[in-house]
Amino acid sequence: MRKIISVLLLFTFGLSSCEKDDICDPDTPTTPRLVIEFFDADSPSTSKEVTNLKVIGKDMTEGIIFNENATGETKYLANGSKISIPLKTDADFSTFTFTLDSGNENAAAINSDEVRFNYAHQNLYVSRACGFKTIFQLNPLSDGPPISSPFIKVDSDSKGFWMKQIYVKEYNIETENETHIEVYF
Amino acid sequence: MKHTLKYISSFCLLFSMFLSHAQETPTTTVTKEIVPEKQKIENVAKPALQEVKKADSIKTDRYGLRVGVDLYKLTRGFYDKDYKGVEFVGDWRLTKKYYLAAELGFEDKTTDDDRLNSSATGTYIKGGFDYNLYQNWLDMENLITIGLRGGFSTFSQELNSYKIYNPNPYWGEMPPITEHQKYSGLTAGWIEVAMGVKAKVFNNVFVGFGVQLKMLVANSKPDGFDNLYIPGFNRTYDGSFGIGFNYTVSYFIPIYKKKTVIPAPAKTAPKK
Repeated sequence: MRKIISVLLLFTFGLSSCEKDDICDPDTPTTPRLVIEFFDADSPSTSKEVTNLKVIGKDMTEGIIFNENATGETKYLANGSKISIPLKTDADFSTFTFTLDSGNENAAAINSDEVRFNYAHQNLYVSRACGFKTIFQLNPLSDGPPISSPFIKVDSDSKGFWMKQIYVKEYNIETENETHIEVYF
Repeated sequence: MKHTLKYISSFCLLFSMFLSHAQETPTTTVTKEIVPEKQKIENVAKPALQEVKKADSIKTDRYGLRVGVDLYKLTRGFYDKDYKGVEFVGDWRLTKKYYLAAELGFEDKTTDDDRLNSSATGTYIKGGFDYNLYQNWLDMENLITIGLRGGFSTFSQELNSYKIYNPNPYWGEMPPITEHQKYSGLTAGWIEVAMGVKAKVFNNVFVGFGVQLKMLVANSKPDGFDNLYIPGFNRTYDGSFGIGFNYTVSYFIPIYKKKTVIPAPAKTAPKK
């Protein structure tokens, strides 16, 4: 009997000591990023890779890191057909400058477009360890009042738009497993 | 300071209840008790020889109500500013080994996790039975019990503040969001296996401690949140498992007695 009790006591103390280490599992779906996929404007069904794309949030000094392991400027440069960028969780819009061929010696090749994404955000409970997450919903496109649009494209460097067309594929940004925005260039 | 005083005074009040009980009870029991007590003392004084002659010995078991309070919950309020709670415990001796047992309590607990801060407030009741595994000598009345309880709690939760989990904090780490969202009318039910020890320290006063392993069977979760703490059940885990602990001081109110004859087989058996 005494043995049983001591075993149970040990068991309970063991459990209480584990209490603190419930950390948020990185695989848990939490706040999603905006997933943008690039396509060839001349052949809309084929994806096209961007070269040295740098994305900087408005009023931010550093670009979004795309290569965690790279050093220097290259960690901010995306090369590929798909990127994920984090949206502001405490505002209803996020503005980014997308610079193609960033760092190119030929200054004429560098082209920047500014895109402002407009959305509504909502905080959802995940778990004790992870707390809450934010999901987003891009504003619908509407010409009549109230006028709203999911994004506003601005030619920030007056070199013309390198993004020929932006298309919203998924208005609800809830997971990173799908593409939300398609960019044709 | 005010709170401390309040606790001390309520504590005193609680003990004064014990005192009044202590004065009440002897009127019925003491007179009766004296006679059998002497018999027993004789038995102890001359043990072996008399026992052999008398094949059986008569043991008096006292039956009654034991009421007490959980000191762990009561004192925790002194050093833990996030906790207030009280639990009253009681049991009624049904048979030689079985006790009907119940606990009634109130808890107000603020849980401060890394990303969430929430408060749970509510009352609970637990009922079931205890089985005494301990073989007492003569007039000892100690208990080592294992028992089963059903528990039910009605409570409310308040989400005080939370943080957004963002694995990509490019825009900077967001400060906690203060919300004070209240979720009321919540209920939960569970079953628990309770193990405990109670020892008679003097007269009719018992001290004991117990651990409970709990399993949640019903849990009404609020919309868009979770029950992180359930009064009576304690902290919840991902599954339905829970644990509890108490340290009780209780007073036994004897109500009637039963005599049981204990055969003395150990003495006669070897002779053959």
